[in-house]
Amino acid sequence: MFQFDMLSLLFVGLILLGYIPNFFYTLGYLPHVQRKAHFIIHYIAFGLSLLGVVLANNSIVFLFFWELMSLTSWQLILTEANNKRSTLDAAKFYFFMTHVGFVFLLLFFLIVSGGNLEIDFSHMHDIASTFAYPTLLFFFLVLGFLSKAGAVPLHVWLPYAHPEAPSPVSALMSGVMIKMALYGFFRFLFDVLYPWQEEWGILILVIGAISSLVGVLYALSEHDIKALLANHSIENIGIILIGFGMGMIFDSLHLYTLSSFSFIAALFHIFNHMSFKSLLFMGAGSVLHQTHTKNMEKYGALIKSMPITAWTFLLAAISISALPPTNGFLSEWMIFQSLLGSNSIESMSLKLAIPFAVFALALTSGLAIACFVKAYGITFLGLHRSENAKHAKEVNFLMQFGMILMAMVVISLMLFAPFYIYYFDKALYSLGHVSVYKEIFSTNMFNLHSVANNGGVVSPLLLVGLLIGITTLLMVVYKVLGIKVRIHRTWAGGYRTTADTQYSSTGFAGPIRKFFSWLYKPDETIKKVHIGESKTKFSSANYEMHVTPLFEKSLYQGTTKIATMISYWVYKLAHFEKTRYAAMIFNLLLTVLFSYRVFYGDFSWATLMLEAVVMVISIKILIIGETR
Amino acid sequence: MIYYILTVIITLLIAPLLLGFIKAFKMVLLYKKPSSIFQPYRNYSKLLSKEMVLSQESSDITKIAPFLVLSPLLVVVLFLPPVVSEAFYISFIDAFTITGLLALSTFFLMLLGLDCASSFGGLGSSREAFISSIVEPAMILNIFSISMMAGDLGVGKASVNLALVFPSAHMASFIFAGISFFILLLTETGRIPVDNPDTHLELTMIHEAMILDLSGFYLALIEIAASIKYIIFSSLFASLFLPFGLELNPFLATLVFIIKLILIAIVVSLIEVSMAKLRLFKVPNLLGIAIVFSFLSLITFYVLGA
Repeated sequence: MFQFDMLSLLFVGLILLGYIPNFFYTLGYLPHVQRKAHFIIHYIAFGLSLLGVVLANNSIVFLFFWELMSLTSWQLILTEANNKRSTLDAAKFYFFMTHVGFVFLLLFFLIVSGGNLEIDFSHMHDIASTFAYPTLLFFFLVLGFLSKAGAVPLHVWLPYAHPEAPSPVSALMSGVMIKMALYGFFRFLFDVLYPWQEEWGILILVIGAISSLVGVLYALSEHDIKALLANHSIENIGIILIGFGMGMIFDSLHLYTLSSFSFIAALFHIFNHMSFKSLLFMGAGSVLHQTHTKNMEKYGALIKSMPITAWTFLLAAISISALPPTNGFLSEWMIFQSLLGSNSIESMSLKLAIPFAVFALALTSGLAIACFVKAYGITFLGLHRSENAKHAKEVNFLMQFGMILMAMVVISLMLFAPFYIYYFDKALYSLGHVSVYKEIFSTNMFNLHSVANNGGVVSPLLLVGLLIGITTLLMVVYKVLGIKVRIHRTWAGGYRTTADTQYSSTGFAGPIRKFFSWLYKPDETIKKVHIGESKTKFSSANYEMHVTPLFEKSLYQGTTKIATMISYWVYKLAHFEKTRYAAMIFNLLLTVLFSYRVFYGDFSWATLMLEAVVMVISIKILIIGETR
Repeated sequence: MIYYILTVIITLLIAPLLLGFIKAFKMVLLYKKPSSIFQPYRNYSKLLSKEMVLSQESSDITKIAPFLVLSPLLVVVLFLPPVVSEAFYISFIDAFTITGLLALSTFFLMLLGLDCASSFGGLGSSREAFISSIVEPAMILNIFSISMMAGDLGVGKASVNLALVFPSAHMASFIFAGISFFILLLTETGRIPVDNPDTHLELTMIHEAMILDLSGFYLALIEIAASIKYIIFSSLFASLFLPFGLELNPFLATLVFIIKLILIAIVVSLIEVSMAKLRLFKVPNLLGIAIVFSFLSLITFYVLGA
């Protein structure tokens, strides 16, 4: 029923690292929650279900815990609902999307277990290898797991659902829960569907590249701090998938060392993202707890009243922006190295495609820096932008303790990278991949080598040491010079600086938004009260800007429109034209019968054509009928 | 080891000199009486001895960020490619790390701009964030292609390889990468088509806007950081794209290196006097050219092998 192999234990480690600091934070957060019993029950069940998912060894147990995880997190989103429209909608959306994914997972398991959901995962490989269309199984996995992970184009629910949950739960959902989908990828792609086709890896790589860009671009246009962080989850899932996709491509091309290296990079980024995203959500939660608003335009100068929150948030922001020497940098460095390993690929078209992934990843990391300067600068620096920010105080001790613990996790991932990589390597080895730990640390523990044939070297400890050393040296020089300091107000060209004259978060992202306006297509409205007849002078102006995500606008709302049209048509048939309705049921039966034959493996183009002709004729005659 | 230490010291010492030289040379080109090329040193010593004015609106970030703007750049100086062939000790650090360290310095500079609650600071940070996020892909693609030609990703090893075996077989992709890198040099060091280091006009300034509220010691740190950033880029350009002179004896090799730096400075100042500053929203076009050239470089390398 349960298994304790290296991969499962690794993810148990991930869950514990994410859950324990979160637990302390939650204890501090609890007085703020209205429905305490409801919250505690679901919070604990959520943690247990996460453990159950990674330890399950047969489909029924896995699906049980998977569903429990979805339902408890859904209830946790609804903890502070109070009939608020946005929360209810977000929860509904989440419930729907997670069950769409569940259906595909169920289909996958029904096929690979041969109908008996109680057999072990290890027996599934034989059944899956006899199935005629492995790509179909792969697509079931992609739809089932990536809808949970929030990869484009199945990501639309994520920026709604994650921010609506209470902050510690957002941290768990973004930090840990979406990683369960990647665990599923590791487990079922390696154990069940092993000899991968080359196209699968390319698909994952493309999804990853698009997700990372889409995630960071929409994060930049956000001014709701939690939605900003949720969009960054999409970005980071994209980065992880780039590493994962490269691993799959290398494996299908028989470049096993590079493949292991890429998978280790992906695993490392999974851990890193868990640590800094949890910390960021906790920081955002503390700010929200004190200011009672999610709008970044209402924050400002919180570093003065909330130092612990501010400094831990800074650490996480540096890490998520992939700046050296932090852990986020190390894993992104590894992913870049694995992309660079693409010069050992023979196939020219593939080789030419990889630079585009490099471009996407590099642009993503550039934009992520901009986004976190915005998030940090607008939230914690400058002047108070509202009354709420003025009255903010540091959060209680337990919440601080949770954040500090999580900051320790971030730092440990940076300093003890070799230790973690050792276990990632072991997990991959247990999944039947080659071990590359010796190649990565070929000289000593301190230098991380790339396994690509002209790869680089990075030494996290050396970087940390040098940065701290040189900074201290400069500070000592400053102290020795004994410079006099005078405090005076900011120079602002003769005017006084006030909270209103500072840059806002919308203004900060302005140039980037303008540059990418073909993607954002923002709805902008400017209202001015003009003075008299003048066209240029005005007494007051109001600028509003909203960005509706492109995917939501085109893909989802379009689908809804088509579904509404079809259902209206069917409704008309069913209620007013009973004969045609009966004919439609007949046609549906035909479809089921024919497609059953296709899935059964008894497939040939001739019969398919014949059946298609039969279908078209029966639809034309029985349903559409004569057009007048 | 002694050569390595000497190289680092020389690099640090001539960094302000180059900026002074560019300024003086520009003035000569414009028929003005040139300022002394040692002017930057005088500025630093003046700033270091001055009293410092801190803004009452600013927080602890202002007290640590100037140090963290400078220190990543100093770390990069330690890892620059060797100038003489013996000075090759810890230059194994690769170009991604260098890009990252430069970005770390820019990150704190941008925070500094937002800290003092002045709209100038926010303006500078916002523009810098915009430009540096588009620079990143060009930089990394460039690194990608040069590492292919040099056969190593570490900048130290790469420059030695290039100096030993000049990639004459890959001349096309080498030149494409060179053009792209030169645009990056102009962009990242805030030279004229992108930013004008000499003005304090809110329509044009980027770098100066972020540091408008600093004075004294902190301002000196940032100014030193700007000069070091310039020498990082120009010495990377000199070692990777003008790879010769490494095999000479140490004294001559250093001399050749300094002459290369001065040549780059002359080209930069010629561009500065002959071009107008681009509008902010035209800058991505320039960077787009840099990105396209890096792509071209990679693709010519892969497809044509040229």
